[in-house]
Amino acid sequence: MSRTSKTGDPNPSPLSRRNFLKGAGGVATGGVIAQGLLAGSLGEEGAAAGDVEELSGEVEIALEINGEPRKVKVEPRTTLLGALRDRLEPPLTGAKLVCDRGQCGACTVHVDGRPAYACMLLAVDLRGRKIRTIEGLGSPAALAPLQASFWKHDASMCGFCTPGFVMAIQACLEKNPRAGLAEIRAGCAGNACRCGTQPQIFAAALEAATQLSKGGK
Amino acid sequence: MAERKPPSAAAWPPRAALTVLNHDLPRVDGPAKVSGRARYTHDVRLPGMLYARVLCCPLPCAEVTLDLAPARKIPGVEGVIELMTGKTGYLGQPVAAVAARTPEQAEDGLRAIVLTLVPKPWAVDHAQATAEGAPKAGRNGNVSKENVAGDAKDAEAAIAGADAVVEATYTLPVQHHACLETHGVVVDYRGGDQATVYCSTQGTFTVLDDAPGELGLKSSQVTAIVDHMGGGFGSKFGIGIEGKAACMLSKQLGKPVHLMLERPDEFVTAGNRSGSRQTLRAGASRDGKLLGFVGDVTKLGGTGGGSFPGSRPYIYSFEKSCVRVRSVYTHTDSARAMRAPGHPQASFAMESLVDELAAKLAMDPLEFRKRNLKDPVYRRHLDAVAREIGWPDHPNKTAPAALADGIGVGIGFAVSTWGGGGGDGCEVDVRIDRDGSVVASVGTQDLGTGVRTYVAAIVAEEFGLPLDAVVARIGDSRLASATPSGGSTTTASLAPSVKNGAAKLRGMFAERLAKTMGVDEARLRFAGGRVADEQDSKKSLSWQQACAVLGQEGLSARGTHQSDLAANGIHGAQAAKVRVDTLTGRIEVLKMVCMQDCGLPLNRMAIRSQIQGGMVQALSYGLLEERVIDPQSGWALNANLEDYKIAHPLEIPEMVALIDDEDARGVIGLAEATVIPGHGAIANAVFNACGARIRDLPMTPDKVLAALGKVG
Repeated sequence: MSRTSKTGDPNPSPLSRRNFLKGAGGVATGGVIAQGLLAGSLGEEGAAAGDVEELSGEVEIALEINGEPRKVKVEPRTTLLGALRDRLEPPLTGAKLVCDRGQCGACTVHVDGRPAYACMLLAVDLRGRKIRTIEGLGSPAALAPLQASFWKHDASMCGFCTPGFVMAIQACLEKNPRAGLAEIRAGCAGNACRCGTQPQIFAAALEAATQLSKGGK
Repeated sequence: MAERKPPSAAAWPPRAALTVLNHDLPRVDGPAKVSGRARYTHDVRLPGMLYARVLCCPLPCAEVTLDLAPARKIPGVEGVIELMTGKTGYLGQPVAAVAARTPEQAEDGLRAIVLTLVPKPWAVDHAQATAEGAPKAGRNGNVSKENVAGDAKDAEAAIAGADAVVEATYTLPVQHHACLETHGVVVDYRGGDQATVYCSTQGTFTVLDDAPGELGLKSSQVTAIVDHMGGGFGSKFGIGIEGKAACMLSKQLGKPVHLMLERPDEFVTAGNRSGSRQTLRAGASRDGKLLGFVGDVTKLGGTGGGSFPGSRPYIYSFEKSCVRVRSVYTHTDSARAMRAPGHPQASFAMESLVDELAAKLAMDPLEFRKRNLKDPVYRRHLDAVAREIGWPDHPNKTAPAALADGIGVGIGFAVSTWGGGGGDGCEVDVRIDRDGSVVASVGTQDLGTGVRTYVAAIVAEEFGLPLDAVVARIGDSRLASATPSGGSTTTASLAPSVKNGAAKLRGMFAERLAKTMGVDEARLRFAGGRVADEQDSKKSLSWQQACAVLGQEGLSARGTHQSDLAANGIHGAQAAKVRVDTLTGRIEVLKMVCMQDCGLPLNRMAIRSQIQGGMVQALSYGLLEERVIDPQSGWALNANLEDYKIAHPLEIPEMVALIDDEDARGVIGLAEATVIPGHGAIANAVFNACGARIRDLPMTPDKVLAALGKVG
């Protein structure tokens, strides 16, 4: 995938920060910050230091979500969580917006197999990465073992934190199917549940770990 | 199966005969929740929907002027409205709202509003509000009239005759509900005479109180939807100011508007549990009898009055008592109901006080409690939790432990009470179709307690069907009426109506089948997915065959509240075991145990979840939570989930939830009772562990060290 094609524009006009600021009107500050982050993260992907891509306004990007290529229009500052919930058509609303600052774990997804807070990632940085959301783990008719175990142990009350806990613990168990209580607790230490389902979550996770270590899915 | 009664008088079968109820029932909406498919208000997405944001005043009291014009120029912004100008009454008061095509654009719009603030003097805490010349936060000053119960002289005389006297001041901070789904609505009004309001609320029908007026419609023209909701804990009734703003925007723009509060706004404008300051004086006799009690209580409920239960000493019996209660008002948002309003505050102070008296008399705190609790149920519960937590073998019952390496391990106790009864107001339609479908419909809401599941379970039990053979439809104001969920009244209000409707329908169905099968109606038995003559097993139909006798109109009945199926008044006891590091002041809760009565347990697993959830919230309240507002700058300092910390997985101890099966009554709600005593039990365990008496929540390490005389 070439850099220029990421904007979705076959003849991309050279964008400058000046143009971007003009277009963004009174919101210059937000734009500058977003661009700074964008440049930094692209550098991380291996682009040469001078090879900075500038994006402005809404751009269409391609993301791989739950094994499928998806096109989505985002702003450079749009978080992965915003892209999933508010911009994808149809949206994926399993990951929840609770704190929007990486403080509660309710938006936990997997990026290249590792747990990540979708509210702390910019969607444009996720091009070329494998994103898995709760919807990709199992469906109501075909629950993944950990989800089935959550159900069986009543590890969900209001249920708003549940997708985040499931994804955090799934990542923990994929890393170590023999995880014990201490490792499971650490694996979801950043997840908040206000109803107080944590004891049932631990029970569900431990049972799923037992099944997985016996060679289950 | 129990002898069949006339349809108007349904009865719960004997517990031993129950095949669905009183068992562990996985929630019927569990698969939707664990797979991320359950749709909450936050998740509603509609064609052309706009995202809205609210601008909250960042100062407790200020003269506000707004220039909205710059916001209107922001690309994507479609609507900007003023909610108030002039002098604000509290920190976080919503002053304007913006609707735009994307959440990012709505945020841009909000930032573009020119908000001019002229700060006015404010009072945000007890000290500021009660200082001389304090700026007025309440309508009639900052301190309300006293509510006095009992005779002070009698109580003082009783204390004077006591062998042990304790006087102490206990303080509890303002706590937040911290619902993970913030308050908010999606209003879908595209003109015309019909609107739909999706709302994260504890009362489907409370939406019809507020929204139609804002939309200029009649309640018959508005549908309220509460499919799933992400926590309320007492803070979510009606649509709130944010809901009104969304209605105004939707009406003005003719488009659906999604307005969910941002997390920082949720912390300042969506309610709280009132803080409390209680100066208590009490005396007991040498043999451990509570004699006199004088209490001076203030509630700190922002612009609201706050909560405190009754006017007598909480639960424990004193010979003479006098309690004064008053509210102190501040320029912060009004306290709202929060899971057992007032009780956790009263319980903490009273359980600490009782423990201090027991310690002064060198008495076993468990025995001391049992001696002063009139109701024998408490003694049974206390004994049960004491056994489970290991009290009989605990070495130091009457004095703090001898410390090894600065580490102390201690156990503490506390009790709770609640009503949990129900009343009229819920009606349930139960319907059978000729293909065997069974549906129970009621507009009620499920806050996470498992309402959907027990609605289906009660009907399944009645017809001898498995749980998954019944569909429960809830959360829609087009369905039969239901009361809002407050005060743990939902179960005792709703379950009897479900049972009543199911029993009526069974009677009607039995009458029909009796003719078809040629069997005396009274001999028909519904069990194991079949309808059979209990005296002649050859006369038997499968559920499908039985339903096939119905016409295409099916068969339906409406259940109404039947009060003898419910009861009121519950008890609970909790024990906590803690480990205190006296070098760092860190408290680690090792184990918590609760025994709770609740009448007939509809779903044992959901009840254990409620009990454990109550203990988790009490632990969180006791050790972690406190709203902090800087009195000088007026800023909310911890309006986020990092600085306002709620219990996370690493804080959760082993937990044991015990259901009191000796309670033979009908159904009773229990959720609120379970949040009342936990933090008091933890405080008492901390004292038992190391001698540190913490009288001020949250019990942070600095307070442990201060109580031990190691700092400040």
